[in-house]
Amino acid sequence: MQFAKNLSVILSGVAAVRSTAAAESKDPYSHLNARPGSSKPVWSGHSCPLPLLLILFLILSTLSTPAFAQDKPIALKGGKLLTVTHGAIENGVIVMQGGKITAVGAATSVNIPSNAQVIDTTGMTIYPGLIDSETQLGLTEISAEQTTNDLVELSDEIMPHMHTAEAFHAESVLIPVARMNGITNAVVAPDGKDTLPGQDSFIQLAGANATEMLLIRDNAMPLNFTGDQRRNKGGFDKQKFPATRMGLAAQLRQAFIDAEDYKAKWAEYDRKKADGAQNQNNNKDKKSEPTAPKHDLKSEALIPYLEGKKTIVLAAESPSDLQTAVSLANEFKLKFVLNHISHSQPVLDYVASLKVPVIVGPIYEAPKEDERYDAVYSLPAQLYKRGVKIVFASYSAHNVRNLPDQAGFATAFGLPYEEALKAITINAAEIWGVADQLGSLDVGKTANVVVANGDPLDVKTDVKQVFIQGRAIPMTDRQTQLRDEYSK
Amino acid sequence: MPLMSARKLAIHCAFLAMTLAFAYGQSAAAAHHEVVIKNATVMTVTHGNIKNGSIYIKDGKIAAVGEAVNAPASATVIDAGGKYLTPGIVDSHSHIALDDDVNEATSPITPQMMMKDAFDYQDKAIYRALAGGVTTSLLLHGSANMIGGQAVVIKHKYGAARDEMLFPNAPRSIKFASGENPKRVYGSRDQLPSTRMGNFAVQREALVQAQDYMREWDNYNEKVKRNRDDKDATPPKHDLKLEALADVLRGKLMVQIHCYRADEMLTEIAMAKEFGYNLRAFHHALEAYKIADQLAANNIGIATFSDWWGYKQEAWDAIPWNAVMAMRKGVRVAIKSDSGDYDRRLNQEAAKTMRYGGATEEEALKMITLNAAWIVGVDDRVGSIDIGKDADLVIWDGYPLSSYGVPEKVLIDGEVYFDRTLPGLGTTHYKEGE
Repeated sequence: MQFAKNLSVILSGVAAVRSTAAAESKDPYSHLNARPGSSKPVWSGHSCPLPLLLILFLILSTLSTPAFAQDKPIALKGGKLLTVTHGAIENGVIVMQGGKITAVGAATSVNIPSNAQVIDTTGMTIYPGLIDSETQLGLTEISAEQTTNDLVELSDEIMPHMHTAEAFHAESVLIPVARMNGITNAVVAPDGKDTLPGQDSFIQLAGANATEMLLIRDNAMPLNFTGDQRRNKGGFDKQKFPATRMGLAAQLRQAFIDAEDYKAKWAEYDRKKADGAQNQNNNKDKKSEPTAPKHDLKSEALIPYLEGKKTIVLAAESPSDLQTAVSLANEFKLKFVLNHISHSQPVLDYVASLKVPVIVGPIYEAPKEDERYDAVYSLPAQLYKRGVKIVFASYSAHNVRNLPDQAGFATAFGLPYEEALKAITINAAEIWGVADQLGSLDVGKTANVVVANGDPLDVKTDVKQVFIQGRAIPMTDRQTQLRDEYSK
Repeated sequence: MPLMSARKLAIHCAFLAMTLAFAYGQSAAAAHHEVVIKNATVMTVTHGNIKNGSIYIKDGKIAAVGEAVNAPASATVIDAGGKYLTPGIVDSHSHIALDDDVNEATSPITPQMMMKDAFDYQDKAIYRALAGGVTTSLLLHGSANMIGGQAVVIKHKYGAARDEMLFPNAPRSIKFASGENPKRVYGSRDQLPSTRMGNFAVQREALVQAQDYMREWDNYNEKVKRNRDDKDATPPKHDLKLEALADVLRGKLMVQIHCYRADEMLTEIAMAKEFGYNLRAFHHALEAYKIADQLAANNIGIATFSDWWGYKQEAWDAIPWNAVMAMRKGVRVAIKSDSGDYDRRLNQEAAKTMRYGGATEEEALKMITLNAAWIVGVDDRVGSIDIGKDADLVIWDGYPLSSYGVPEKVLIDGEVYFDRTLPGLGTTHYKEGE
């Protein structure tokens, strides 16, 4: 745990882009970047590129000083840039300044600022930070140790007033492990055992504390209809409502109807109050003061979703569950993206007709008994062929680092490589409403940039350096510490 | 469950029909059983790669391997089209095809359980692993008990008869386990063992009983040997449980131990020395990197995960460099699945060792072939492309040690059992619904 604390200190200069702050040009933490008395970095003044490893060593060796903050531009020169939005650039240059990408292009065409720290990335592959569209990061440490888990509130199936942001553990040991492999942003979702388990958060995997790391609170809400939400375990005597899908659907419908009524009551109250105020002004009559309805957190939480202001993440596996779930969502005009649909191969044309993105998989889900071995492996390709926008998710906490493996594997079953890369970068950024800031190497976006020794989607590829908001993240975690300790 | 039996009956009928349907095709091949795979990049595991290599297979065995092989013109030719060819993958830790009969968790000592008795040869999990290039698996008892049952080694000949799927004359293995799992299972019932002290006390007590049992039998045998008509010589009662444990002490069973923590591995080594038996391998062994010297010195292998961690307290110190760090100290390392999911892509799991610690291609491949075969005790028969070994082979679409490698054809004993290019399931010996 000491390490996590150290890391927080190390990163105390790292500012997070929050959805609201993002539009502001001024970095709200910029005052931390230039502290009085901070020593100049040792590389200061170098104008010729240094080898990457040497530079990284120099960066890491100065981590304990406040000079770590990006107080000057960094240029990565000579690598292969996978921009995602405008192809690959061999022998490219990317410049990061003030936490943003300020230039991207061929080495011959980009002017590197004279004060920039130039890092030679020849032979490296450089790509945007990866985005995992469903994780439980910050909600668990050790799966089997219940005291470390804040995954789902099982006391009721309808829990929209749960906010993962309020449980998110910024100092989790799991977060550095994930970002070491280039995952810089993620959706944090509650476990799927409730129909409405609570609301997601969209995080950045670096920051001084939870406030900085939680880029968007309550960015979306899962609606799970996979059958796993039934309380039917342990025989008839132990069942409780809702033990069937009918029960789940009825309960859910009631929750949304209650929320609609609630909204109407408050609207009525607000109208009366306004009328009353007017009457008061006009007649000085104090008797018309209306009584406020009782507050109900559950219904309140549902209103932005009923109004289509926020996204529902609609999870189903089988064709029948999928269609029931979609009917329910349509009944209340919810704005939704689909999740999982691992066993919905027979109705992929129907899925395409819905014109919504799909968080697909995990593709490691076992096929049904009678299905071919690759029925789920090939799902991303099948969806892509039908024009469906897909994203991948690890659906994990400890294995978030393996997110890109899944995308690579899907290409072996027909998904074009570029689409696989998009599914863990720009597509995810679009679905989560942050495409203006994340998901590609484009000027103006947050400088979440990964430097690796090869193809980002191959299991063998080693990530050499991760930049989050233009800052070089220490490439250490609890696991590298153990490795180094026992390598002595 | 009458429904189930009806379904199983239907499968049996389908199986009969399939056997008949294949009779013709089989007889043609059976006449000579000779196959040549040509134009492959052969990854032998033991003697490097052969570009444009060929393999000549006779009677299910590798008869020749090289840039050119002498084979009769009558041999069936498979053109690998320049693709990679590896030995079949060996999964040294699996619980598939047991219809959830993995743990006889009614007593912490159940060495008389035979996994073979629960082997469900029709389980589709066998097929799905086959499609991932697995040709041999060690099906182990679970880890609820300190001493579980005796493993069965299978070949993934999906669609073949049950007994054809059993690895012929494979050595016997027994599963031990310690740590959190037995603690949790019995501790939650307020039974012994609920602690690690309890774990090892239970194990030692069982082994002491086995020693007594052995002594009784030895005494009896000695008496009978001295005097066939010795009236005092009454045979002790046969006890399956103690007989199995006695076989551990006699060195007739290879001991495979589920163990996570370094301290527990050291305790298991000490206990093995106390009772005079050898340990074949620690399974999971996520802290092997902390005591690799001792493992190497005692010739104990490990069957570990590539990068699983954090799912329980005893997996908290897991690091993805474990496999390579242990290997560099001289430990025989296998990457295993312990899962009906990961056994479908063990090649990717092995490839991770190239990233974490810099294993060479051959070292990585060895962890899912030859080293795994050694743990199972069948390394003289499978695990590499060498003359005389079983022709268990995989032709890969794409480079196998990557995210992209997918088996195109899988051969076991020289016969194709899976072919990705075929419609339906891609199986050659099993047809759905026939």
